[in-house]
Amino acid sequence: MYVCICKGITDKQVAQHVLNDGAGSIRELKQHLDISSQCGTCTKVIQKVINDTIIDEGLFKEVC
Amino acid sequence: MKSQQEVLTHLNKVLTSELTSINQYFLHARIYKNWGFSQLNDQCYKKSILDMKQADKLIERILFLEGLPNLQQLGALAIGEKAEEMLACDMKFQLAQQSTIKSAIACCEQLKDFVSRDILVEILHQEEDHIDWLEAQLYQIDQMNIDNYLQAQL
Repeated sequence: MYVCICKGITDKQVAQHVLNDGAGSIRELKQHLDISSQCGTCTKVIQKVINDTIIDEGLFKEVC
Repeated sequence: MKSQQEVLTHLNKVLTSELTSINQYFLHARIYKNWGFSQLNDQCYKKSILDMKQADKLIERILFLEGLPNLQQLGALAIGEKAEEMLACDMKFQLAQQSTIKSAIACCEQLKDFVSRDILVEILHQEEDHIDWLEAQLYQIDQMNIDNYLQAQL
């Protein structure tokens, strides 16, 4: 599904960057995708997608 | 006629949910139309118009109770990329909306605002009808596979 309607970004794109580029936070993801840049509604949903992807793949989220 | 603030808060919450629903179903309807699935387009378009009528009733009721209907607040839209995902997104949205309406009904009942409750009960009835329709679609997809299902929606 589309997580960001403003820029037309899907949850699959987010998950792909989390897995392939190791983006573990919104800030890191911003370097790859134009997210959270217009209305900000997507931030909460994207954070959930990041968390779910990391848990699914047994990776660890960078905490510091 | 003055009303309790709690009732107005709940009515506004349901209104926000309906306004979100209008946009979600309208966009889904037109995505289906763009893909040529006219049956799904019709269903979602009608649902969007129904939501507008429900929102109208809520707006009138909130104004009657001397509150201010919040038409600025809008929830996040759950837009799918494929027909199956779109139906699943609608289902998820409907279930969240159902619980919002139910808690609003419970509040109206408790504070004895029976007219608001009646409006909400009617809305809940219509929303449950749509949940039933969505369940039927998901069942059909499960039984006849997505390809056959989509062929029946042309």
